[in-house]
Amino acid sequence: MRARSSLLLLLPGLAFLLVGFLLPAVAMLFAPPGVGFAQVLERMATMLTDPYDLGIIWRTVRIGLIVTALCVVLGFPIASLLARSQSRWAGVLLALAIFPLLLSNVVRTFGWLVVLGSNGVIGQVLTGLGIVEEAPQLLYTELAIVLGLVQLFLPLAVITCYSAVAQVDPGLDEAARGLGASRTRAFWTILVPLSLPGIVVAATLVFAGSVTAYTTPYLLGGSSQRLLSTQLFSYASVTVDWAAASATAIVMTVLVFLVSGISTLAGRKGATA
Amino acid sequence: MSAVLSRTAKLRHPVAGTLAVLGYVVMIVPILFVVATAFTAGSTLRFPPDGLSLRWFGEAVAYSPFLEAVVSSLELAVLATGLALLLGVPVTLAIHRGRLPGKDLLEGLFLSPLVVPELVVGLALYQQLMIGLRLDNFTTLLLGHTALLLPYAVRVTGASLALADPALEEAARGLGASPLRAFVTVTLPMLRPGLISAGLLGFVTSFNNVPLSLLLQTRDFRTLPPAMLDYVQQSYDPMVAAASTLVLAATVVVAVVAERTVGFAKIFGGINR
Amino acid sequence: MTTPAAALVGVTQQFGGFTAVDSIDLKIPRGRLTTLLGPSGCGKTTTLRMLAGYSAPTSGRILIDGEDATRTPPEKRNLGMVFQSYALFPHMTVADNVAYGPKMRGVPGAERRRRAGEALELVGLAHLGDRKPKQLSGGQQQRVALARAVAIRPRLLLLDEPLSNLDARLRVQMRAEIRRIQSETGLTVVLVTHDQDEALEMSDEMVLMRAGKIVQTGAPRDVFPTPADRFVAEFLGYENFLTLADGRQAAVRPEHLRVVPLDTPADGAVALDATVRDVAYRGVDLLVTLDATDPAGTAVRLLADHRTDAAAGPTPSAGDRVRLLAPEARLALLPALSEPELDPVTEGIS
Repeated sequence: MRARSSLLLLLPGLAFLLVGFLLPAVAMLFAPPGVGFAQVLERMATMLTDPYDLGIIWRTVRIGLIVTALCVVLGFPIASLLARSQSRWAGVLLALAIFPLLLSNVVRTFGWLVVLGSNGVIGQVLTGLGIVEEAPQLLYTELAIVLGLVQLFLPLAVITCYSAVAQVDPGLDEAARGLGASRTRAFWTILVPLSLPGIVVAATLVFAGSVTAYTTPYLLGGSSQRLLSTQLFSYASVTVDWAAASATAIVMTVLVFLVSGISTLAGRKGATA
Repeated sequence: MSAVLSRTAKLRHPVAGTLAVLGYVVMIVPILFVVATAFTAGSTLRFPPDGLSLRWFGEAVAYSPFLEAVVSSLELAVLATGLALLLGVPVTLAIHRGRLPGKDLLEGLFLSPLVVPELVVGLALYQQLMIGLRLDNFTTLLLGHTALLLPYAVRVTGASLALADPALEEAARGLGASPLRAFVTVTLPMLRPGLISAGLLGFVTSFNNVPLSLLLQTRDFRTLPPAMLDYVQQSYDPMVAAASTLVLAATVVVAVVAERTVGFAKIFGGINR
Repeated sequence: MTTPAAALVGVTQQFGGFTAVDSIDLKIPRGRLTTLLGPSGCGKTTTLRMLAGYSAPTSGRILIDGEDATRTPPEKRNLGMVFQSYALFPHMTVADNVAYGPKMRGVPGAERRRRAGEALELVGLAHLGDRKPKQLSGGQQQRVALARAVAIRPRLLLLDEPLSNLDARLRVQMRAEIRRIQSETGLTVVLVTHDQDEALEMSDEMVLMRAGKIVQTGAPRDVFPTPADRFVAEFLGYENFLTLADGRQAAVRPEHLRVVPLDTPADGAVALDATVRDVAYRGVDLLVTLDATDPAGTAVRLLADHRTDAAAGPTPSAGDRVRLLAPEARLALLPALSEPELDPVTEGIS
């Protein structure tokens, strides 16, 4: 294909990308309407010093880290068991783990309202058994957000780890066993190190998703457990504070880019080491 | 299901098996409770439900804000997916088959909407296009959703194209086909699985999108997820559970179609490297 | 003199700063099988692709049937190409693959099917028309690719490493098969290969290439005994190189070096004294590695095939002092200096 015809194929998509994404994003971050970049910077400076704002940033990062850790700890075993299983059920279980990715976040998160709500499953069971007098406040807590986000991102962790594990030659496990490693030793010394790049990718995807997710903290965190995303939404559509909205958006984007950058670097280092 | 997993798992490793079962519980069980409460005859969201009935399904189907939202969601998802494929496939061709400098950079550019937090994209479009340029919300939504789906169109069809032997097109040319005819008779059929995957993924992604749809909604045009979120905020009755169950059923249908056409796991394999 | 089926005139192909094909001139004789032979990266496939129209030369002209086709797109050249990967359309049946070319030419359905059947008949696969390419073995896919290329009644049949994906036995079988198809159809065939045995066995005309240039051309019978330079000699399996007493370079094949006792008379052959370094058993013969001093006084490492039957004389073993005889007629004389950058020397020896 000649360069000119390639360019013709490229241009409509490129124009769309510019108008529908790149230009608005750049304009919003650096020059919101009626607000200069100086004001955005000023607002960012207060965000990074104000205890309330810092608290929100820290809560977002903390929840992101907890969710990431849980997704790896729960997702990697699922992935390795499914990838190494010879059972015909493995395919069904894999499909079951992937299926939630197709399902609306609203529907998935709504499930936790049913489980954790004041008339919810856990409350009913606990009061029904006489363990507690009154159902404990589970909704609108950090725990609720963590549970919701783990449910949301675990499928992503599972399939990312799955493709990593599937690429590790099962012969290596067998070789390690043959050389005297127990099943557990073989898991930690062969499978985990060789799947590490996949685990890093999974962790990055989950973290990036967790610190930017909106539906879950909105439904399960309420107004008492504000995160960057719910804060951003309220700046944009409730108080219409463009400087604050842009500043929050910058913090969120930098957070995501920082983590993806570190993980890419780690991946590269791992590849050369 | 978890019995099978734990049985096969226990043979291999009890700790991994337990974690895996826990993971499935978090992923699946809340969804099951949604379905269970949807069939309640009572008027509160509680578990166990007060008797069985289909009454809330009737109400959900008759609730006009949901109905209108479903139509809007479908309309937007179909248009955005079609547009993304129409723009994205030529881009893929240019990147993979054309002679252009900086192909990696170009591909990265088209994948960038995946990297920037959706809420940030939504804010940018809301502020710059809807408020700044006074575009109507449907046009803005269509622009935003299409930009968001472009990465899928470019990457997933790109994966199909990368698998197709470039010599196929050359063979067709050598046998007397014009470039256009070679594309239609040989390349396009090779792209079929990629097009179906990208189409399904795009449709589901657009249909389920919250951040863009929430920020860009107006009374005239609003998709289903924000409509459901609003409803949950106002009242706490089992109608949303019924609506969620209907969305779940529709998603199962999409999943079955995906499994029959390209294979479920393959579709999602395409987006994770 | 008849016009050649195709000709390249001063053709150069550059990719970025790399010169893949460097100003070559080549005539493809009509109705014969020409091979482009050389190691990977020598420019042979690039040459074939320019001939087919898949890449335009940076400079120079390509003539097909005496007419300038340099800028003609592949679909207008009417050349049948068989790709290394076969490039069979996986979504079409075998018959549809073969009928694709006639279809693009607007040949009506019934005639199309007849022609596809005919072409499949030629390669002995008429009974597999309804299969999909994936259901065929590698050898069968290869035949379908041939049939598809032949079905357009091409002016030239171009084969890019057609046998490299087949196993050894099948490869030898297909060599004869391609020759048969060539002689039955009378087509002009250009075949690209890196396998010297394949080229020697199949070619009417061999074109040896190195680093984007043509090093030697000629019929196998003419090229084989008189390699143009050390590169060609090495490529054709000459493993021993020595300098003769008069300073000329010569190459000799292991099977033409005789290992004999020290006191054997030279009898007109070039004789060298040597020490056996290693002997490897290979069934029909022994591969003997020797350290010798050539007539010019330089130390050389040589290989000789020594037959294991009694007629060959005593069996050498490591450490033996022996005499090596190289019959004058078996020595291939090479130009004095064969620097890689030197222009191909085709005159002088033959």
